[in-house]
Amino acid sequence: MIRIGAVLKVLGVLLIVLGSLMLSSLPFSFYYGGEDAVALFSSALVTSFTGLGLWYFNKSQQKIGKREGYLIVALGWLSMGIVSMLPYLFSGVLSDFTNAFFESISGLTTTGASVINDIEAVPKGVLFWRSLTQWIGGMGIIVLTIALFPLLGIGGVELFIAEAPGPTSDKIHPRIKETAKRLWLIYVGLTALLTFLLYLCGMNFYDSINHGLTTMATGGFSTKNDSIAYFNNPLIQYLITFFMFLAGTNYTIIYFGLKGELKKVWKSDEFKTYFLLLLSVTFIITCLVFNFTDHSLEQSLRESVFQIVSIVTTTGFVSADYTSWSPGLTLVFFCLLFIGGCAGSTSGGIKVIRHLVLIKNTFLEFKRLLHPRALIRTKVDGQLVAQRVLTHILVFLLIYLGIFFSGSIIMAMILKNYDQPLMTAFGAVATTIGNVGPGIGAVGPLDNFAHIPYLGKWFLSFLMLLGRLELFTILILFTPYFWKTN
Amino acid sequence: MKIIIAGAGAVGFHLAELLAKENQDITLIDTDEEILDHVSTHLDVMTILGDAASIHVLEDAKISNTDLFLAVTTSGSTNLLLAIMAKQRGAKRTIARVNNPEYFEQHQKENFKKLGVDVLISPQLLAAQEIERLLQRGSFTDIFEFEKGRISIVGFTLDTTCPLINKTIGEIDQSNDFTFRGIALLRGHKTIIPRSSTKLIKGDHLYIASVAKSMDAILQFVGKQLQPIKKVMIAGGTSLAFRTAELVQDKYSVSVIVKNKNRAKLFAENLNNALVINADPSNVDILKEEGLEQMDAFIALTVNDETNIVTSLMAEHMNVYKTIALVDNVNYTHISQNIGVDTIINKKLIAANNIFRFVRKGKVEAIASLHGVEAEVIEFEIHKKNRLLRNCISDLRLPIHSIIAGVIRGDDSFIPSGDFLFEINDKVIVFALPEAIHQVEEIFK
Repeated sequence: MIRIGAVLKVLGVLLIVLGSLMLSSLPFSFYYGGEDAVALFSSALVTSFTGLGLWYFNKSQQKIGKREGYLIVALGWLSMGIVSMLPYLFSGVLSDFTNAFFESISGLTTTGASVINDIEAVPKGVLFWRSLTQWIGGMGIIVLTIALFPLLGIGGVELFIAEAPGPTSDKIHPRIKETAKRLWLIYVGLTALLTFLLYLCGMNFYDSINHGLTTMATGGFSTKNDSIAYFNNPLIQYLITFFMFLAGTNYTIIYFGLKGELKKVWKSDEFKTYFLLLLSVTFIITCLVFNFTDHSLEQSLRESVFQIVSIVTTTGFVSADYTSWSPGLTLVFFCLLFIGGCAGSTSGGIKVIRHLVLIKNTFLEFKRLLHPRALIRTKVDGQLVAQRVLTHILVFLLIYLGIFFSGSIIMAMILKNYDQPLMTAFGAVATTIGNVGPGIGAVGPLDNFAHIPYLGKWFLSFLMLLGRLELFTILILFTPYFWKTN
Repeated sequence: MKIIIAGAGAVGFHLAELLAKENQDITLIDTDEEILDHVSTHLDVMTILGDAASIHVLEDAKISNTDLFLAVTTSGSTNLLLAIMAKQRGAKRTIARVNNPEYFEQHQKENFKKLGVDVLISPQLLAAQEIERLLQRGSFTDIFEFEKGRISIVGFTLDTTCPLINKTIGEIDQSNDFTFRGIALLRGHKTIIPRSSTKLIKGDHLYIASVAKSMDAILQFVGKQLQPIKKVMIAGGTSLAFRTAELVQDKYSVSVIVKNKNRAKLFAENLNNALVINADPSNVDILKEEGLEQMDAFIALTVNDETNIVTSLMAEHMNVYKTIALVDNVNYTHISQNIGVDTIINKKLIAANNIFRFVRKGKVEAIASLHGVEAEVIEFEIHKKNRLLRNCISDLRLPIHSIIAGVIRGDDSFIPSGDFLFEINDKVIVFALPEAIHQVEEIFK
């Protein structure tokens, strides 16, 4: 039997944490006139008191098992999506429930797809909250809660696995609490560093911190309608490119890098693949862009590398319209939506490690055909990949593609009145399930999602959540096994 | 504290569980991937897959800044090697689990220490010693003595003849002139800390603390006459059975029932004062023939838990005064005590608890774990003046899941009441359930 009391109690704590984080938008609100202060403050109050109520009325000290873990993560993200939209609703930035929910889920899942037409008109406090939702969702609020509170006990391990991105969750410290603390410390540190560097490059403090938050979260919300292109500053673009690359790297690798154990960094097959993949794709696309357009070599390189890193790490910042270069390149960028960053990073998507394992295994399959009696096992980082992990990754990929195709069909029907319903449906579904942001067609890099019908927005919100929690955490709730005791 | 445990068997797992609750940083090394999977989803520890004897694996586990290295794989010689390797690579303290009794002689211990093994632990020896201790005080299922018996904690089961049944702790306290404190009550699966309003019922397993001079009065009162044990029957051909027989053969008249002929021969050749019988211990007729009904104690130590439980029950049924069963499956512990086996011995738990005590030493004076109760009795010494001395016990706000069992002051000992005031150098014995242990340690630190 699922111990619902334990689940609700933890949800209460999550909401209290989220409510307190909402308050951090207030200084920005007051500094810029305070027109949205009441909205933010009342949202924080509603969130915190809901949390307090849940926490107080569920006093049970029950153990959190596997089932409770999955339920906490799924319901936790859903309820966070609901309360995170309160600032949009209370301040009148978005007037209806659907749009506000889409915007808040898009933020929390670090997708960065927006329904706000004029971002620059949004009051500064709410706009900061919009960036902050991405930052919270990037590392995951449950990881934060584990770092701060001992309440989750042993159940914390299950939750950590259910929320952390990627098939592997290495511990960098024997205790989960310390691991979570270190991850958040790196996260906060890199965000602060980026904010500082952006400030040095000439952004004002408000824009610096907002872009710092959304870059490290691989989110992609900007404070400007034209995204990064607005600043028109090559230095800023290179800087953000580098930090997007870092944000898409496995935090365990960053941890070892910071500790000076570079050997371990270079021993990671996933990191190598991620790095070389970005390098080679950048090289090819730079050449092509240089050929197709009249950009200088530097501009071709800068725009290509920015767009590529932005899409692969599932950030979704835009400094140039990649769909305007050439139809072939548009298709390449569409394919990049399926790659994703490293496991254990803040990025979304399928993730490099899964591709790596599958490609290695596929190659070895040919060898196995020629040597039917040979024992040939797939290895990553010099270690065997267990058969179960291999199956898990394969199933993940199949479900991912299955959802992509069926989702595209559903979206194409919803978008039947569009100019390019198929392109738009493919783009919208691929970009939301991968938590990227921009897609192709009518949801390309220069467009937003405001024009999607209500039904479509709900469906895409669901896909974003599905993608952020790596399919299984949500889908398992829809299986009979979850609800039956045996 | 950074701790590495090599070997995720029953001892290793139990240790990791105990230490993880203490918020220590634990790394567990084993070669079995499935066990490690189970561990990493159930305990907050880091796991490393591999042979702990590999230098590479040890370095992966960051052996150089380890405070404590525990070698508890099933192989004694591997454990010795591991401990030596760990010590050389920087582990501050090493503990190895070995079974060879020769290693435990005093000058051998010194030799091992020179090699780098700080402490040797033998689950079998510890279990045999535990059994010896239990036989000495036959009336109780458990007995712990603090500071040479100035305060003792004893455990016993309330059977139908016990005069304490259907009385509250408060009533018992008022109607008698001896001092005691009920510290824990095991009722079914639950551990309760009894308060004065708690009513005792039949089948309860009660732990009480008392001062030395009240002990005999208590014994008489609870209806358990101190019956000296003379005849002991041990069932089983395990090395624990051998060790136990060896340990107790000079004090009692001992018969050992061994099923395997070769083992029986070996036993007979090496045990000088015990009667070795080659028979199947699960055969009641043979046991009867060998005088089971006249025995004072029956100790079931075969490899099979179920046989141990059933034969002990049989002995209990034949009015054998004291029954002890070796049950290595932790899940059976509660149920076997509930259905009537006097005392359960789990050698892996005993070993793990013992090692755990080494880890905790320094912080506390002594520590004991009660059988079947997930709780601890901890002895603290009050070293310096702090708020403990200024307030009486009822003002100290001890956590609800803990109770002060007794206080030792010099040669005196007390069972303190709420208005008791501590003095410097007092030794305080506290009983605490797991959730309160940390708080209690904070208070007495």
